Amino acid sequence: MNTLQLLLEGASEVFFAGLVFGAGLPFVYAVALRVMTIGATTYADPSGEIHSTPKMSSRLFSGLLIAVVVAGVVIGLMIIVATGFGKEVTFDTIYPTITDK
Amino acid sequence: MDAANITLVLVIVTALAFDFTNGFHDTANAMAASISTGALKPKVAVGLSAVLNLVGAFLSVQVALTVTNAVINLQTKDGAPNPELLADGGEAVLLIILAGLAGGILWNLFTWLLGLPSSSSHALLGGLTGAGAAGLGWAGVKWNGDGSKLDGVVGKILLPSLISPVIAIVVAFTGCWLVHKVTESVMHRLEERYFRYGQVGSASLVSIAHGTNDAQKTMGVMTLALIASGHWTSTTAIPVWVKFSAATAIAAGTYLGGWRIIRTLGKGLVDITPRQGMSSDGSTAAVLLSASHLGFALSTTHVATGSVLGGGLGRGTPVRWSTAGRMVTAWATTFPIAALMGALMWWIGDSIGGAFGASVVFLLLAAFSTWIFRSSRREHVGADNVNDEWERAAEITSPAYEHAPVTHSKNGSGPPGPADDVADRDQVEPTETKTH
Repeated sequence: MNTLQLLLEGASEVFFAGLVFGAGLPFVYAVALRVMTIGATTYADPSGEIHSTPKMSSRLFSGLLIAVVVAGVVIGLMIIVATGFGKEVTFDTIYPTITDK
Repeated sequence: MDAANITLVLVIVTALAFDFTNGFHDTANAMAASISTGALKPKVAVGLSAVLNLVGAFLSVQVALTVTNAVINLQTKDGAPNPELLADGGEAVLLIILAGLAGGILWNLFTWLLGLPSSSSHALLGGLTGAGAAGLGWAGVKWNGDGSKLDGVVGKILLPSLISPVIAIVVAFTGCWLVHKVTESVMHRLEERYFRYGQVGSASLVSIAHGTNDAQKTMGVMTLALIASGHWTSTTAIPVWVKFSAATAIAAGTYLGGWRIIRTLGKGLVDITPRQGMSSDGSTAAVLLSASHLGFALSTTHVATGSVLGGGLGRGTPVRWSTAGRMVTAWATTFPIAALMGALMWWIGDSIGGAFGASVVFLLLAAFSTWIFRSSRREHVGADNVNDEWERAAEITSPAYEHAPVTHSKNGSGPPGPADDVADRDQVEPTETKTH
């Protein structure tokens, strides 16, 4: 295989993984924040500062989304640690596993 | 102490010095966005990054002994120096490493003086390639891989540096665009601090990853020098003191904070909001870790810069293209100029010869570093002024100058929120505040 092919192959893999995690997780996080505002009661105190009380259902759904983001961060940490110990993270099973290279 | 031992000591000190410059040169990659959006106070940011770099350096037990194999034929596949180079007690290998490190340091310091985020790994590998080419001849340079994987100067340096900023720009652009689409209707009800939390989280990941990757490179080079001079034999383990000293050097460098580069990346390129900052940092962390997972060599600097640019473009924030141009010039020139410096250093050391030659290389490096440091004192950039307005506002060419409000009251004229002390743009142009 020539260098250009190898490059495009490697780069496209990095690009798609980067897009899913790098754009996807901030998006999920933003959705989690957005959900908190749906149907929330807000009022401004005399100083003009906004206070908001989200609905319980919003809180739950938002919490779920945040958990997705946290899972993404944990996978990131797993990759760092695994790489440092000469291992790699595989996604063959449903949950990511650290295995020997 | 014989000649080889003197050279070895100089190599070790120079390697730690390189590691130190590596630290402060790359603080910006992880923390520039968090500092400029006010997610973290400057001193807190570099402190956090330093601790995480230290943690990262110790998190890794893998030996990056074959670091020079990417670009020169100095070592065998298992990491030991090529036997034919060891005839003179390893002095030939030591001089190449010393000259290569010196070349890398010189370029790192020079770009730091100019406040340009250039790649430390390119500087290191460039310096080693130049010194290797000078010491081993052109045949000593590995230009390209054998077709089974990306390797050599072309496959590991040139091509990835062209493509990695593009990947980062697109990922950060997409992230930023999505985040704004989702939150724009409720902008005034969401506190910026939530986006800052996201930013700090991803910046922390970048710092740890930096510690594991970059500290390892210096540890590898130091261990190579020890093997070449006969002070170490294992190619699967590194001396404990090497690990401790390299980890400490990179963390200390990070804590010093390369304020000039942080300022350029955080303020000079594009002025971003916490929302954009979160998208940028998320992109940097994700692209770097994906690349590390997939075994694709990328420069942290190129990814971080691309992400900041993408985060800016995703919201139509004006970009100072002249700054971007200077950065791209620095990227393109890092490898070849570090190589030239490495070659020059090798030539000086080799012409004089022996431990005296190595000492002259070391003294030249020290003299140049002192000169750079003195020059840097003329225009102070530090934690106190890293976030000041970028004076060269005339460089902005894009007409739109949108920015996000920090906190609003219902009529939009309420008192500034707690974060306003850092979101200085809102103080400069309060009347332009609008809801997206």
